Amino acid sequence: MQTATNSTLQKQQLMGILEIVCQELELTETQYESAKSKYQAVGAWLSDGEHSIFHDSEIYPQGSFAIRTTVRPLGSDEHDLDLVCHVPKFSPHSQPSELKRLIGDRLRANGTYRDMLEEKPRCWRITYANEFHLDITPSTYNPICTKGGELVPDKRLREWKASNPRGYRIWFDDHAQLQPRFTFLEREIGKASQQVQALPGPSRLKGFLPRIVQLCKRHRDVWFYTREPELAPISIILTTLLAKSYAYCVGKSLYDNEFDLLVDVLRHSTDFVEVGFIDGIERYYVWNETTIHENFAEKWTDNPCLARSFFAWHQQAVADLSNLVFSGGLDQIRQSMSPMFGEQVVSKTFSVLTNSVTSHRANGTLAIGTGLGLTQMRPKTIPVRLNTFFGE
Amino acid sequence: MHFQHKGLSASEQYFCLSTAPICRGKGSVRRQSLLWEFEARPTILSRLYRVRIQYRYGGKPDVYVLEPDLVTLSNGRRLPHVYQQHPTRLCLFLPGVGEWLPYMPIDRTIVPWCYLWLFYFEDWLGTGEWRGGGVHPRENHGTNATNSFY
Repeated sequence: MQTATNSTLQKQQLMGILEIVCQELELTETQYESAKSKYQAVGAWLSDGEHSIFHDSEIYPQGSFAIRTTVRPLGSDEHDLDLVCHVPKFSPHSQPSELKRLIGDRLRANGTYRDMLEEKPRCWRITYANEFHLDITPSTYNPICTKGGELVPDKRLREWKASNPRGYRIWFDDHAQLQPRFTFLEREIGKASQQVQALPGPSRLKGFLPRIVQLCKRHRDVWFYTREPELAPISIILTTLLAKSYAYCVGKSLYDNEFDLLVDVLRHSTDFVEVGFIDGIERYYVWNETTIHENFAEKWTDNPCLARSFFAWHQQAVADLSNLVFSGGLDQIRQSMSPMFGEQVVSKTFSVLTNSVTSHRANGTLAIGTGLGLTQMRPKTIPVRLNTFFGE
Repeated sequence: MHFQHKGLSASEQYFCLSTAPICRGKGSVRRQSLLWEFEARPTILSRLYRVRIQYRYGGKPDVYVLEPDLVTLSNGRRLPHVYQQHPTRLCLFLPGVGEWLPYMPIDRTIVPWCYLWLFYFEDWLGTGEWRGGGVHPRENHGTNATNSFY
């Protein structure tokens, strides 16, 4: 019983560290608010234009920005934030390149945006240096989608393809809201951990599904960085598979703790890649359930290396994550996490942890708890009095 | 000059150590000398360290880390804030300024500082930087200690 409790507490503390990793990676609340007001201003500029086509157009976030799973790109301070510029008055029988041109013309008519504007194959990019850039993709309504989906340009801007960013967001949020069930032990510790956490700082993930998506995206970025970045699985695939796996895991099992759930969700995520043989060719499907005919893994069939590298990465990610519990010592955990999430982020994470202990020490609120080690002062703990380390 | 206090006897210190929940272990006391060994995990995710405290009434407590071997763990780097590298003897308080006096129970002072030292030690292993503050003997310490944490 003692050992089980100890291991649960250790796993809980690991979740606390992973929570800090995510906080270090994502868009800060201030950046989020700033990005929001900026895209709203872009939206207002578009709909105020003379061109009547934009009068009931709308700009809204899609992808990680919409579902709060942003991860700062490796080696850059600038977040990629994806937006949709939905123009329902634009006919889906006209060329996507035409809609893109109209949006570009309107943006260029604004002195501020003109200098920050960059043309990308499928979208327009407005860059706010060192903070984020807004990628604005044109879209129009999809007359044949019964799920309220839209049409966005394909890569070559020649044709429209089905998508449903708004529907996807609702789909993801519905999955994220599912509540996992824990065994008695975790519930008791969970209850107690409202007051009893080990080290000062977080002791669980804030929003389980978005957090595991962030951790996996980051692990993918770091893993592929030194290999073949062009073979990295796209974020929408990871996000979709993890959401499906999360729904499956919370529906089927009881868990001893959040860490075990985390590993299990990642482990089962590959179960949701559908594989079929047609005409002797192996075909992969990761369906977008919110529209018709959108297979996120479409490219895997043409390039099986993409599928192979996804499965290889997945195996590594499961191993790395589950091995974290076998690290003895904060320095060892740090060493194990660095190749998973990047040295800089892990270094910052551990500084947050150390600084939190140091500030509790300075405030006289640091204590030792039986079986917990350093912790925040509360009843039944032994305070750490002020001292000065001496000696060489 | 600090207020002169008679202080706790070695037996009294021993009694405190043997009943404290954060340093369960074993030891002995003979005449005015005590020995106490216990295991400490500075944080829930840290290693388990075996620590020995030696104390003779009238002197200062000596604290050794017996296991694991900190010199091996530090991989060639000199351990900071120790009186002795091997076996590692920790410098947990600034002498002469009243941080520790013989009337203070060891389990309430030295033992928590030992946890704290081990925490910053694991941090130092990872960063190469000692972030626990402190004073080095050759520096002008005392009430105007410049490098002091407080």
